[in-house]
Amino acid sequence: MKAKECVAMILAGGQGSRLGALTKKVAKPAVPFGGKYRIIDFPLSNCTHSGIDTVGVLTQYQPLELNTYIGSGQPWDLDRKDGGVFVLPPYVSAEKGEWYKGTANAIYQNIGFVDQFDPEYVVILSGDHIYKMDYAKMLKAHKKANADATIAVIEVPWDEASRFGIMNTDENLEIVEFEEKPKKPKSNLASMGVYVFTWKVLKKYLIEDEKDVNSDNDFGKNIIPKMLENGKKLMAHRFDGYWKDVGTIQSLWDANMELLDDAPAMNISDKDWRIFSKNPAKPPHYISNTAVVKNCYITEGCEIDGVVEHSILSEGVVVEEGAKVIDSVILPGAYISRDAVIKKAIVGTGAVIGKNVRIGTEEIGAMEDFVNTKICAADITLVAPEVKIKDGVAIAKNSMVTKSIKA
Amino acid sequence: MHNSTLGLIFSENPEANLGDLTNLRALAAVPVGGRYRIIDFILSNMVNTGIANVGITTTSKMQSLTDHLGTGKDWDLARKQNGLFILPHNEAYDSNEQYGVDYIYNAFSYLRRSRQDYVLVSDCNTICNLTYEDVEKLHMEKDADITMVYKKVGKVEDSRLKRHIFLDVDEDGRVTDMQLYPTVQKLNNSYMHMFYIKKSLLLELVGDCIAHGKHKLNADLLMSNIDKLKIYAYEFVGYSKTIDNIKTYFGFNLDLLKKDVRDELFGTKDDDRIYTKVKDTVPTRYGKDSSVTNSIIADGCVIEGTVKNCIIFRGVKIGEGAVVENSIIMQNSQIMENCLVENAIFDKEVILREGKKLVGQETYPVIIGKRVVV
Repeated sequence: MKAKECVAMILAGGQGSRLGALTKKVAKPAVPFGGKYRIIDFPLSNCTHSGIDTVGVLTQYQPLELNTYIGSGQPWDLDRKDGGVFVLPPYVSAEKGEWYKGTANAIYQNIGFVDQFDPEYVVILSGDHIYKMDYAKMLKAHKKANADATIAVIEVPWDEASRFGIMNTDENLEIVEFEEKPKKPKSNLASMGVYVFTWKVLKKYLIEDEKDVNSDNDFGKNIIPKMLENGKKLMAHRFDGYWKDVGTIQSLWDANMELLDDAPAMNISDKDWRIFSKNPAKPPHYISNTAVVKNCYITEGCEIDGVVEHSILSEGVVVEEGAKVIDSVILPGAYISRDAVIKKAIVGTGAVIGKNVRIGTEEIGAMEDFVNTKICAADITLVAPEVKIKDGVAIAKNSMVTKSIKA
Repeated sequence: MHNSTLGLIFSENPEANLGDLTNLRALAAVPVGGRYRIIDFILSNMVNTGIANVGITTTSKMQSLTDHLGTGKDWDLARKQNGLFILPHNEAYDSNEQYGVDYIYNAFSYLRRSRQDYVLVSDCNTICNLTYEDVEKLHMEKDADITMVYKKVGKVEDSRLKRHIFLDVDEDGRVTDMQLYPTVQKLNNSYMHMFYIKKSLLLELVGDCIAHGKHKLNADLLMSNIDKLKIYAYEFVGYSKTIDNIKTYFGFNLDLLKKDVRDELFGTKDDDRIYTKVKDTVPTRYGKDSSVTNSIIADGCVIEGTVKNCIIFRGVKIGEGAVVENSIIMQNSQIMENCLVENAIFDKEVILREGKKLVGQETYPVIIGKRVVV
């Protein structure tokens, strides 16, 4: 195998349970975003643009759809002769076989994979953030500082800092302390879950960490504190672009809606940093004589006869005449029948909404069986993938409709 | 059919004239339908039928076509065995003097080298959603030498007769007569410029034509063999449109505004998709004051103005207050604020500056060439 300077490993095994019904059958990185993407398109496209052509994707929870989606890696230009993209589920070896116990253990179990490419550095990424970032810049800073690890950080509002892993640094951005979700944060530089490690240093720490039976085998909880304790050189790398953890229904909805802002914080139309995705080979969309489309993103294969306002429609969505889609995110292939009203909702892949159905309504008498404020905060309503809702039903806001409502 | 048939597509057709649209590009590479090139339809039909080896003849205007096709991966034709073959044109001739027979003759080494025993020969500019299993089945059942594909047409306008080849077909489906570009319409079976033939017979017939100084595919290879060979006809039923001039080009694009045409061409299932080069453009953004009706719009556009009865290609920008009607606007063109455009075809990357008006006639659309700034 040809040696590589840098290999990327994307942690894509998380269940993403706070996304409720959206991740019941797919892993979080495979959740659709922004009309024609999946969350994992962002780190994969970032890798391609950063010149990293060898990427391992570590899967564990519900990997099938993600595996199929990644395929040969061709959409991201990662179908390479040397290197490319590899899906890495846990496996059984002669001695033992086990699930990935934590983020660090997932990499530990794939030391053999990384070693095949004999890299100087590894980039560890998470598969559940929306951002555009040049990892090559970060790698350059890592090399220049002669660091053992470099952690990407972003400034977060002080009042939110206690929700993040916070890096306390000196004036040269060298990390002096790491605090996971501190009650009284000393800094507002939050870890983005993007790490560059010098591979031979990381490998040593992974092996030691594995021997420690009390360890959670986690980068944030174990590996980083241990390296700090041992006086290794850990640098923070400031990132000042758009970065969003889309781990909850509200943050996923927000991140979609932010694309529709007058001056969006993240420009997805940047021709020099395209976000690649698998193309469904659908025809252009059709907007009919009865349609009204305003302030929205619409993509291939849609047929629009109704009203679409301030919403994001994924491929192959149908909105019949008289139907209204407002402040919503409609995932691939969903069907919105005549006179239905969808308000502030996420409608799952392939869901069928019957005639005159009201989703996310405040009307009295609306069905409240599915109200789930734990998953669906901020008046957002979620309709699970493939769910069918019969004609005329009103679904109260903050619901998570997990099963079909049949006639 | 899968392993036994290869496809041979002509990227040019001397009988078609698309004026400025083909100044710099092959007929096969003319953009249509918002995100496609003419060749995508026939090529996807072949791929959807399981044909895994396709040769495409070219002329000196091949740049835009080869850019579009690349390695063929978007049609799943980038393969170790078989795949997509761009067949270079013969420098010795001016392409205007070459006819179908010459193109096939130029492809002899490709044809001989290929493992398939049958060839589906087709023009690029008849758009339809046709899978060829039934053509092959008929060919085998009848033990035919050649099977030609046709569709039934009604009364053809006199001015269009010179574009048609009519077939007389007996009860058994055998072709008994061919009438090339007649002045009076006596038949209603219009040939769709696709035929199925055993490769060895094709090589023999082409060799024979060349040896006798004959170069015309329809007249010399097909028509003059009606009595000598068993030529059968397969009737295609469904939507098809041959793009051979600006009027038919415009007509095909506007046909896509009809739901039944879209459903038939693009399929409602996933197994008869039309493939094209993937550009990774973002979804189309509609502004707060946009007003769009009865239009086909591809990805990557930013629409702030009014669009009516249009085909809008990828990456087009239409500014606030601009009104665009009955027009075809190709990739990356920009129509700035308060412009008025009616009955127009904009080639790629045209820029229409603020407040400009461009109005063509319904029967005679105005065409603006590639990268023109108005």
